[in-house]
Amino acid sequence: MSGHSNWPEWVYIGVVVALLCYVGAEAWNIERIVEHVPADAEVIKVTGQQWLWTFEHEDGTKEIGELHVEKGKAYKFEVTSKDVIHSFNIHDYVVLMDAVPGRINTVWFSPGDAGEFPIQCREYCGLIHYNMRATLFVEDKGA
Amino acid sequence: MMIGLGIVLGLLVVLPSIQYVLAAGDEPGEYLDRRIEIWGLFYRLMIVAFTIGTIVSGTIVWLVLRFRESNPKAKPTEYEASGKW
Repeated sequence: MSGHSNWPEWVYIGVVVALLCYVGAEAWNIERIVEHVPADAEVIKVTGQQWLWTFEHEDGTKEIGELHVEKGKAYKFEVTSKDVIHSFNIHDYVVLMDAVPGRINTVWFSPGDAGEFPIQCREYCGLIHYNMRATLFVEDKGA
Repeated sequence: MMIGLGIVLGLLVVLPSIQYVLAAGDEPGEYLDRRIEIWGLFYRLMIVAFTIGTIVSGTIVWLVLRFRESNPKAKPTEYEASGKW
């Protein structure tokens, strides 16, 4: 292969490697930003069990199948499970965290829009998995 | 050998250390909208994915058309020309 020029191949490799580096760096950076919980976030304990969700606020208030939060406030969910693996998902707010027995996983969010939003289990957890739902109520301050 | 060892050590030791130092900080985060951050990331990465897809598939299409036997610019390789392999 004497006299063969392979510079286009190096350009090709360079472009693809540069794009892949960008993908890794960008994903890592957003993950880092999204995982840092604000200092004043209120902790809500979330427990999954076949086939319902239980929520416990910092003041001890418990809710089953419903979660009431205030618009504009930060909330940190401590997610666990009593039986099998579930997955806690608020689709409209891009909240998704596995609920694993014996483990507490955390995820936080700050709801920006008032309204009702569905909460759904996203890990197949048995016969009634499809109906393991709850509702998130985001209320205006003082409502 | 040494390059391979370096890559393995890099993956096992150096990268997790950087991750630990830079990402596992205890400083409190700022209020942000997850929807904007996460969907924004998704769309940016989709642009990258389609760009790579276009480059790779475009190169393959060009390669197949340019080096087909029926291309007017096609020349037999020296092996084909001499009939000896």
